[in-house]
Amino acid sequence: MNYDYVIELRGLSRHYAMGEDTVKALDGVDLEIKRGEYVSIVGPSGSGKTTLFNLIGGLDKPTGGSVFIDGVDIAQLDAYELAWLRCRKIGYIFQSFNLIQVLTALENVALPTVFAGVPREEGLRKAQHLLESVGLGTRVHHRPSELSAGQQQRVAIARALANDPGIILADEPTGNLDLNTGMEIIDLLHGLNKTKGLTLVAATHDLKMIKASDRIVWMRDGQIERIERG
Amino acid sequence: MARESIGRVHFSLGDAARLSYDQIKRRRGRAAINIASIALGLSFYATLVLSDTFYSAYEGLGGTQLSVESYQYWLVGVALVVSVVGITNAMLIAVYERYKEIGTMKCLGALDRHIILLFLVESSFQGLAGGLAGFLLGLAGAVASTGFATGFDVALRVPPLQMLAIFAGSVGLALVLSMTATIYPAWRASKLRPVEALRYEL
Repeated sequence: MNYDYVIELRGLSRHYAMGEDTVKALDGVDLEIKRGEYVSIVGPSGSGKTTLFNLIGGLDKPTGGSVFIDGVDIAQLDAYELAWLRCRKIGYIFQSFNLIQVLTALENVALPTVFAGVPREEGLRKAQHLLESVGLGTRVHHRPSELSAGQQQRVAIARALANDPGIILADEPTGNLDLNTGMEIIDLLHGLNKTKGLTLVAATHDLKMIKASDRIVWMRDGQIERIERG
Repeated sequence: MARESIGRVHFSLGDAARLSYDQIKRRRGRAAINIASIALGLSFYATLVLSDTFYSAYEGLGGTQLSVESYQYWLVGVALVVSVVGITNAMLIAVYERYKEIGTMKCLGALDRHIILLFLVESSFQGLAGGLAGFLLGLAGAVASTGFATGFDVALRVPPLQMLAIFAGSVGLALVLSMTATIYPAWRASKLRPVEALRYEL
């Protein structure tokens, strides 16, 4: 069965208890994202972008409402199934790259394939290929500390692609990069979205990133303020 | 995606061993502290057990009766407890250092038990290394402390099988102590929710 919407959010809320008060980080968000779409989530800090990112990615549990990935309500999944979803269906990209410091670029990219049960040689071959495709073919044996910020983010993108996920979630992917490097990363992500048909959801402040997207979701105070066509 | 199409994630002992090995290799400092802690506690233990063995062998050869004082075994117990507490402390710090890494691993598909496995495998490596070093230190200590009373060749008169049993016992004890010390830190690490772990800045 093929669902029209790869991501569906229904009345999604995330509240935090702060002493006596309740902070509504996210408050009743409805959103559908089509397969192959490039959606930017935009808003001032504290508007709920990262909370939304975490909930879509199954990294946090909502207080109310549901997240459907390919038609499956992820709240219904047990720990094993959720781990599988994170492993196979979603690729994560973070502002601070979050590479494993003790591993080389190649091993970092191959790590998700370990959890997917891919034989080691095959995983490493795939990682090599992915690193070449993001322009790091000559740096596969470097550790993250030996790579520039832009190169580290490329490794992180290659890692996000390791198990051929349908969805790429990116949380401020250009936030720690200078202008030119940021531009290169945006081009890379945009290219993946167009050529591989990956669904790309990015929380961002970056105007260049916003301009490249199909739709822009403006957040304010935990709610969707408006949605624009890119 | 139908619910039924959801599969399982994998992470074998070999995968954990490979990753733990990389951790120890890159973070030698912390590993060295743990190994030294185990080795010191254990060398004390091995010294006493071996001294006792040497004295018995000496007696069997017609020498006078000598023995280790029982209060010394109490001291060994205390030393081993101290080393366990030290390792627990060091491993807890290792967990804090790796908050982001643990969060990242969970994003890539790691289950709670995979995180536990990683820490336990790492500590078993350290336990083995500490046990080995501790036994050798203990052997040197026992030979030095008994040699003047019994002659230095008594160590060679102990049956090889008995020595092997003491060796296996020492390394086994080091392994058990090191892994026991890591259970709580590993459990803490495994229970981290990915969002908390990723938000954490050291």
